[in-house]
Amino acid sequence: MNLYDYLYQAVGTLLPFEWAQSTFIIRAFIGLTLLSLLCGAIGIMVVNFRMAFFSDTISHSAFTGIALGLLFGLNPWVTLVIFGVIIGLGIIKVKRHTELSTDTVIGVFFSTVIALGIAIISARRGLSRDLQSYLFGDILTITEIELTAMILLFLLAVIYIWSTYNKLLMIGLHQDWAFSKGVNTTLYEYSFAALLAIVVTFSIRAVGLLLVTAMLILPAASARNIARNSGTLFWWSGALAFVSSLLWPIASLAWNIATGAAVILVASAIFFGTSLYNLARYRR
Amino acid sequence: MTELSSPAIQFQNLSVSFDGIKVLENISAEIPAGSVTALVGPNGAGKTTALKVILNKVPFSGKVQFLSAEGQTVTPRFGYVPQVLDFDRGIPMTVIDFLVMPYQKKPLWLGRRRALIEKAEENLNLVEAAHLTRRPLGKLSGGELQRVLLASALSGNPNLLLLDEPVSGIDITGERLFCDLLESIHHRRHFTMVIVSHDLSVVTNHADHVICLNKTLICQGETAKILTPENLQAVFGHHIEVVRYPHPEKHKHE
Repeated sequence: MNLYDYLYQAVGTLLPFEWAQSTFIIRAFIGLTLLSLLCGAIGIMVVNFRMAFFSDTISHSAFTGIALGLLFGLNPWVTLVIFGVIIGLGIIKVKRHTELSTDTVIGVFFSTVIALGIAIISARRGLSRDLQSYLFGDILTITEIELTAMILLFLLAVIYIWSTYNKLLMIGLHQDWAFSKGVNTTLYEYSFAALLAIVVTFSIRAVGLLLVTAMLILPAASARNIARNSGTLFWWSGALAFVSSLLWPIASLAWNIATGAAVILVASAIFFGTSLYNLARYRR
Repeated sequence: MTELSSPAIQFQNLSVSFDGIKVLENISAEIPAGSVTALVGPNGAGKTTALKVILNKVPFSGKVQFLSAEGQTVTPRFGYVPQVLDFDRGIPMTVIDFLVMPYQKKPLWLGRRRALIEKAEENLNLVEAAHLTRRPLGKLSGGELQRVLLASALSGNPNLLLLDEPVSGIDITGERLFCDLLESIHHRRHFTMVIVSHDLSVVTNHADHVICLNKTLICQGETAKILTPENLQAVFGHHIEVVRYPHPEKHKHE
């Protein structure tokens, strides 16, 4: 038995459901849980920095990243991540050196990466057959190597969030004010964009490129409805993301709907529930 | 009145350009140590840019030196109160979170350090805002927010406090309260204070030194001597006269 066998056994024991007895489902469950927790934590900054459109651009750059991989015979998941990071850093670089508004700069990148992806795919018609799993995600087919990559990303991101949470909150509040407090705003802006690009491209595996942004912003937006300070915001966002990932097997397997859609529908239901709670709280 | 002698900041031939457009040109000026210096000028005169130069936030040519009383180059401890904290008011952040987070290495989700909470409460007391400790930052009025920003600026025990139009978004009562607070804190802590303001009543009543800018340096010196109708005509392009009324808070300190 290798390490993963022990892990599957442990998770299988913790989840005494019929669906949790298949190795591939447990593997998907672990991968999705790690990505959900990551998205929950990073999503706080995505909402604070108003980076939903940025995240959409990275996820849509997947068209080109994957197409380049397939075209040159490289692993599309690797080219997807590398291309996503290049686009993310490119957006920040251009945004910092132009008078144009942020959404205009992102809009330019958004259109360019989609057009480039479509251009490559349409030129090589055979490529389009492989794209469905990227559009809707396919977490049930992840391999142990991919799971290892997700665990490494999770650990890296935990260290990053641990050491930068307060500084990123400060930058999200007001850049000049953060700078006057000695925060290297340039360094954190680039490093966060790179991490976000990696998390987005990994999450495409879980929910597909169309729903990645929802996975990032829904738990954080729901947490905002409940949290009363910046510390509990983090725990609420993580907890709600975890609940979404915990409920998907029930929703997905019971009604036979796509995994990504099930995760996001659960997260959406939580968002509307917390919004009602928030409304009731301020009416009192 | 503060003794205006040795400079805390010296600008030598300072110029700033954005995309080839000159925003500040060949400024040589001094900000006396311990003074309340106002940067005065019309909109677009380069006042905020000069403040950003001090913060090293914009590229510039020329020289900016921070000096000790002995004339040695030093690295100042900045406190900065921005013009408008244009932020997302829906963010769940309390006033105490806001004051603690710049000084705490541990992420806020692991709790706040007791010593930092106490220091923040002390600074809130100083700006007469102790009652705001647990309030959400997004629910503060303009005047309350400026006082919290001032408490934050004071947290680092600055020797150089920079304020960018600190009373532009608040009503006359809030403005008076804020200016009196500043005056009283400055009197106790003796830091050098630089205020960007287009409000000549604030400048006349609170600054002891002025630097008048309109892309270039128009004049600089003691407030009472510099804010003459001739100089103000040169800065703003039309006739302005300022009348100094005795300020009760200032007299109290003196």
